[in-house]
Amino acid sequence: MKRDKKVPSATALSSHIEKRIWEKAALYTGVVIIVALLPVFLRSIYVMHVLILTFIYVVAAVSLRTITISGQFPLAHAGFMGIGAYCAGMTSKWLGWPPWITIPTAGLVTMGIGMLMGYPFSRLRALYYAMGSLFFGIGVMQIIQAGGIWTGGYSGLIGISPLFPVTTAKIYYYYFFLGLTLVSIVALYRFEFCRIGMNLKAIAQSHLVASSVGINESWYRILVVGVGCFFVGMAGAGYAHYNQVLSPASFNFLATLWLVMYVLIGGIGSFAGPIIGTFILILIPEFFRDLRMYSPFISAAILGIVVYLMPQGLASIPQLVRTRVTERRNGKR
Amino acid sequence: MLLEVRGLTKFFGGLAAVHELDMHIDTGEIVGLIGPNGAGKTTFFNLITGVMRASKGKVIFEGEEISEKKSHQVAELGIARTFQLNPLFGDFTVLQNVSASFHLHPRSRLWDIYFNTVVYRRNEAYILEHALEILHLVGLENVKDELAKNLPHGYQKMLGIARALAIRPRLLLLDEPIAGMSSDEIDFILTAIQKIHQQGVTLLVVEHNMRILDLCERVLVISFGRKIAEGSPKEVRKNKEVIEAYFGDAYVA
Repeated sequence: MKRDKKVPSATALSSHIEKRIWEKAALYTGVVIIVALLPVFLRSIYVMHVLILTFIYVVAAVSLRTITISGQFPLAHAGFMGIGAYCAGMTSKWLGWPPWITIPTAGLVTMGIGMLMGYPFSRLRALYYAMGSLFFGIGVMQIIQAGGIWTGGYSGLIGISPLFPVTTAKIYYYYFFLGLTLVSIVALYRFEFCRIGMNLKAIAQSHLVASSVGINESWYRILVVGVGCFFVGMAGAGYAHYNQVLSPASFNFLATLWLVMYVLIGGIGSFAGPIIGTFILILIPEFFRDLRMYSPFISAAILGIVVYLMPQGLASIPQLVRTRVTERRNGKR
Repeated sequence: MLLEVRGLTKFFGGLAAVHELDMHIDTGEIVGLIGPNGAGKTTFFNLITGVMRASKGKVIFEGEEISEKKSHQVAELGIARTFQLNPLFGDFTVLQNVSASFHLHPRSRLWDIYFNTVVYRRNEAYILEHALEILHLVGLENVKDELAKNLPHGYQKMLGIARALAIRPRLLLLDEPIAGMSSDEIDFILTAIQKIHQQGVTLLVVEHNMRILDLCERVLVISFGRKIAEGSPKEVRKNKEVIEAYFGDAYVA
């Protein structure tokens, strides 16, 4: 088939998004190049460690936001990360599977569990959904804590094989997690800005109208939970092989709340929001390391300021500036 | 017979919102459905389109029973509807509202959508073309890039109809399509409804406005969930029980 002017790429759906596509592509490429070159300038192993953790949490936060575009707000996301992490950790420790098998497997298992949870919960909406998923997340971690020797219980799971058997150099981990994060981000971006994401956003705006035009609400809501869980499961699995030690406390409700904070501070309405939010909230407390015991307060202060000054999150700053500039200009006329 | 309803009943607690309702619609008709407030008209729509489950009774569309089906399955069979309070995809543009409603025809597989295959791009091109056609029909092509929530009420109502047309319905249920519209807008929408009817769509219209009822070949009157009269618009207007239901028995001559 000829590719003539009659074949646009989903422009009927997302015309307003694709306007400044080259400008954006250049910006993103620039950011990726800078992040990829960071290890050259920062020789500190500690900084690299923090950045690796940031990459992992970026995947978690972005996948959490992807679920929310369907109007569902799950409060079990760290729990799902834990499912992925423990799945990889246990298959690695007890079955001796190599990381390149455990990581995708953990993604699929988390996806399956997420969809099983999504099935009954797809009847719940708004607060009830959030509450249901909250208890699910707490329940999952309780089960893992009660797992005895198999999960390591309260004291945690040790003896998970490292990602790279021959080297412990952080630089390899850095590029591995950068790659994993980029792939996940691109995959989730495409998911949101095609007709699938459009259907999800339609469901979020009015489930009545969406089903009246033939969109299967329950199926799409289950699907998006599955997709979000797949990526957060892989992130958790990567974390397991990076840390080599797992503790249930890393995936409790507080961890979920942190992910929610990343999303909210960055801006739930924009794709870049959770990425920006995660970097800001992990890196800023690092500048105040001497005040580490106060870091929850610093984060809370950031959240307060952001919510007060820019309810759409940090990602909305360019938009705010643009509006302000236009207003100024029009005011002078 | 396109749609047949037999003994349809819906209880809300002890209240029968729809009680033992029998009706049918033939292919190509325009049927009016009127009744005082709270008569059960909207509930009736919700029962047909699977938003609610009936307590008793059957809905049969083209020989297939649909009373147990869900909303999206009913839409797949070709029954479209608009809503009285007119919810819409407020943060989408007008064009996006309609193109997002093209979910069934043509239907792209998830795989094609995600990987932007030729099939998907061809479908999207088709959708763009036909969405613009529908917007032209309901007179919204000039505001196609506005956000739906910023439209005035009359336009939003028309957008509701445009969205319903996107699923290529054989039966279109309109819930008060011209309520709250100016008389210019009413003229326009009546023409649009006639055009839709000429394209072979059967219509069931809930409305109080007599101008739209004059388009109907047949009008059904329900009150407290029961059918109290049926006939041509003129017959119904003279019917004693109808006058009683609307104005109380003091007005019955």
